[in-house]
Amino acid sequence: MDIIKQAFVQMRTQPLISAITVIGTALAIFLIMIVVMLQEVLVEPYAPESNRDRFLHVQYMSIFHKDWGDNSSNGPMSWDTAKDCFKSMTTPEAVTVYVVNEEAQPLQLPGQPSISADVRKTDADYFRVFDFSFIDGKPFDQATFDAGLPVAVISESIARTLFGTTEVTGREFLLSHAPYRVAGVVKDVSTLATQAYAQVWIPFSSTAACDYTWCDSHMGNFSVTILAHDRNDFSQIREEADRLLNAWNAAHEEAGWYFVSRNRPYDQEKFVISEGANNEPDVDAARRSRLIVYIILLIVPAINLSSMTQSRLRQRISEIGVRRAFGATRSGIIGQLIVENFAVTLIAGILGFLLSICFAFIFSNSLFSLEYAQTLNPPHINLTILLHPSTFMMALLFCFILNLLSSGIPAWRASRTNVVDAINNHSK
Amino acid sequence: MKKLFTQIRNEWRSNLWLMAEMLIVSVVMWYIADSLYYTTETYNIPRGFNIDHTYKIGFDKLTDKSPDFIADQSEEDQIADIQEFMDRIRRRPEVMAVSLSMNSHPYNGSNSGCSLTYDTLETRGYVVHRRATPEFPIVFQYHGTQGETPEKLAQLLNDNNGGMLVSDNLFKRYGRSITSLVGESLLWDGDSASAIQILAALEPVKYADFHRWATQSILKKLNPALYNWASELCVRVHADKDVDFAENLLADSEKHFRVGNLYITSVTPFSKIRESFQRGFTNDLRNSITGMIFLMVNIFLGLLGTFWFRTQQRTSEIAIRRVNGATRRSIFRRLIGEGLLLLTIVTPVAAIIDINLALTEIVSWLEWPRMIVSVIAVYIIMALMIVGGIYFPARKAMNTDPAEALHDE
Repeated sequence: MDIIKQAFVQMRTQPLISAITVIGTALAIFLIMIVVMLQEVLVEPYAPESNRDRFLHVQYMSIFHKDWGDNSSNGPMSWDTAKDCFKSMTTPEAVTVYVVNEEAQPLQLPGQPSISADVRKTDADYFRVFDFSFIDGKPFDQATFDAGLPVAVISESIARTLFGTTEVTGREFLLSHAPYRVAGVVKDVSTLATQAYAQVWIPFSSTAACDYTWCDSHMGNFSVTILAHDRNDFSQIREEADRLLNAWNAAHEEAGWYFVSRNRPYDQEKFVISEGANNEPDVDAARRSRLIVYIILLIVPAINLSSMTQSRLRQRISEIGVRRAFGATRSGIIGQLIVENFAVTLIAGILGFLLSICFAFIFSNSLFSLEYAQTLNPPHINLTILLHPSTFMMALLFCFILNLLSSGIPAWRASRTNVVDAINNHSK
Repeated sequence: MKKLFTQIRNEWRSNLWLMAEMLIVSVVMWYIADSLYYTTETYNIPRGFNIDHTYKIGFDKLTDKSPDFIADQSEEDQIADIQEFMDRIRRRPEVMAVSLSMNSHPYNGSNSGCSLTYDTLETRGYVVHRRATPEFPIVFQYHGTQGETPEKLAQLLNDNNGGMLVSDNLFKRYGRSITSLVGESLLWDGDSASAIQILAALEPVKYADFHRWATQSILKKLNPALYNWASELCVRVHADKDVDFAENLLADSEKHFRVGNLYITSVTPFSKIRESFQRGFTNDLRNSITGMIFLMVNIFLGLLGTFWFRTQQRTSEIAIRRVNGATRRSIFRRLIGEGLLLLTIVTPVAAIIDINLALTEIVSWLEWPRMIVSVIAVYIIMALMIVGGIYFPARKAMNTDPAEALHDE
């Protein structure tokens, strides 16, 4: 406690330098945390993608033909391919197959003007993989899916717009000019949960989605997300996926078709950096560039702060000399100076962190909007999306590193000052 | 000048901090400036198309779940429905042109490719293969190299079933322009049975604003047999009648735009499609500029702090100078000069690092004019920050009353 008090007294003697120290630290933590958040909304778990750490995605497949040479067709797969290669897996907890993108469709009550909603066509397992919060009704089940019945899970806000209330299970509305019955109502989903996002979810068996195919019905409309029991099963699941793919390739050898996996399925981190269907994303490169950004955001302010700390310590050189004369050890002095400084860094860091959260809320639209998004709806965020245990850990870690970088060298130098010189206020 | 050097040497320890910071900031700023320069340059390459007053109309087909569903439609009927659908849209007074296409419109995530040969010349790299109904060049305002208007290009496509429009740069690497080959035929995938005539040479069409690749392209007429597979329905609206087009069309969609099993799902202005498609690039740009501002603020704060402290320490020295006849101005200049001199010492070192980074081709490749412009730009921006950072401490020093300051001792 004394150390913190001392830190504050010290700060007050040099208001401008102290202000610069606090602003510099807060600014650095602010920007770093924005970068952290930008990454975390994509990979950290939150409903209805609470199992992101157990997800494996196969958004696209790459098919070749023996007559094509190096050319390939890359994109979503057909329902048949999804069944053969993924739906039949036994290792994962669940496998869901869904139409690759949500699409805008007209919704209306009979005789009323239509509204536009993002509709996603899924199977029944979709609701096992993604944990939607149902506020009314329940998801459609396997039997409903198999029968291709026209039912829909709708979001809270769509229920309100359409019916004026959220307790609407069993009621009918027109979706794409066909009557659908509401099976359940779920809380709104942020567009940032890219695979779960939609405003209306319907069984694709109730549509013509399976008929849209190419490459001899091997490619089509669908993506797959696999939910593993545990992250440790990933390698086993990949082995099974490879086995099924090889079996598929063997079965279609005569016709000349074969799939190349490009190391799919991808986990969440790899999945979010994929660009295009015809290349494998480079996770290491993405990590490396993030690391470089962090380093620059830390080093530049650290040099600045270091020079401030140095200046402040120069004024305290006689104090340090006295302490040394009375038997304080060098490491004791270093330790004290670093801890003292950490109090300041931490407070400035918290300030920067809070600032970054406010900023994220105010500018969520421009900050988090996703590239190549199908929907034009803006991304909504809330605290469960923004804050995770790792967010706090990162903030603390970066404060710690920044403090070490900015006070380490000056403290070490100050501790080495010759006692006699120091008391005489002769600094080197 | 010599005095300045002596001074810098005397304060070498804190100057070392400053110089280290300036060095890192200078290199990072160069990197950002260089990529900004490259991006702007790419952005400023003519697009070859225009999306003002254009919209994409989403449409879909009813399923058997709908009471209005027409079962067992023949392929011909479905194609006739699409044609009727397009005709009805075309009949709206505000509509100038309507086109149906596959993997063709700008800001498109999907594309088809092809390769073409002429004699011994062959295409290299990705050649975008666009297929569209004849009015496509009007919708997106394509132009020919020989002054062909979009309307003329549309007419060429309409009147010639087997021909295609080819971007002028297809054989650029051989120094041959397509303009000189108009009327000749190219072989599709090197297949001699599939010669296709060049109807006109196109001004190259960019894939999107920030793309340099895929400006090689060809445009063919979409075969009606493929209408069922084409999902891109694009319209151009007369500029003077482009008011609430999307809302009005959607409002009328139930009454006028239900043809066979077809219905309208959405009407999206291309400006929105563009915004969404390019978000990755605009986000990168935003991040670069934010990073640059952050570094500038840091330089500013660093110098402000260091020089504030320094002038505080040197109050008596400055006072003695004043007593010995230095003007307020010369003291001000001296402090600013010290900061700028540090930057000038650092810049050549930074430039050497910059050049080496450029040689690794992280951003693009080394181009001397761009390199020089970027380095100078960074120098100027940093100099401004330095002057800004030192201004306040220098003013304080300048206004020191010698009697007061020396009295302190």
